[in-house]
Amino acid sequence: MNLKMNTRSIDDRASLIDLEGEIDVYTAPNLKQQIITLLDSGVRHILIDLTNVEYLDSTALGVLIGGLKRLRERDGSLDLICPNPRIKRVFEITGLDKIFDMYTTEEEALDKMRAKEGK
Amino acid sequence: MAVETTPAVVELSIPCRPEFVSVARLAMLGVASRMQFTYDEVEDIRLAVGEACTTAVGRAMNANKTNAQITIRSEILENKLTIEVEDKVGRMPEVTAAAAPPESLNEENLGALLMELLVDEFTVEPTAEGGTRVRMVKYAG
Repeated sequence: MNLKMNTRSIDDRASLIDLEGEIDVYTAPNLKQQIITLLDSGVRHILIDLTNVEYLDSTALGVLIGGLKRLRERDGSLDLICPNPRIKRVFEITGLDKIFDMYTTEEEALDKMRAKEGK
Repeated sequence: MAVETTPAVVELSIPCRPEFVSVARLAMLGVASRMQFTYDEVEDIRLAVGEACTTAVGRAMNANKTNAQITIRSEILENKLTIEVEDKVGRMPEVTAAAAPPESLNEENLGALLMELLVDEFTVEPTAEGGTRVRMVKYAG
């Protein structure tokens, strides 16, 4: 299974990347490129929706950590929507649930993102 | 019922390239699903095998050896699954993932950390052919 990626703009400084499928060594480079493209276009707050992600490995985690660091360096944020307990568990056992802000619903995540944007 | 002492063996060889790692994961999902593992344990095995193949693919790409093969060998006993993932694309560097703070983890030590956490026994050893053999054991029940 491949990775489907759908990006939509929330406002001029925030975007949501909706992912579906598997994020692994084959597909993670596409996600990395998309994060870099958004950063280059001036986006500072990225929300990544993992609701329909069926599998995620260390390559995906590495891309997400890299994106988080790049955004925080620019006073931005990279947050995750992750209602799937199996995907969330990968973050929990590696301790990465402590460095990412993770939400169950898009609504909840958007509320927090707007607060970070100072709106 | 007598406990099986001769393992059933499933062996698979895949090219050392990113697009084939999912083939190994799918095969191991099939193997683990036949045993008495819980749903979560089957997922753990799938992820651990994916990580073992991914580290080989990473080393193969760095060494420009993506024409090499990875061999995934599973030995299936009633309550024990042994998986050996072997490549010929260099040695896996030693990692000290457990002591590192989460934000400083990179893909390489995250992969090793996951393998350590997901299976009951995890060993890495260099092979005589200049590659790496990852051995993982998971017990069912």
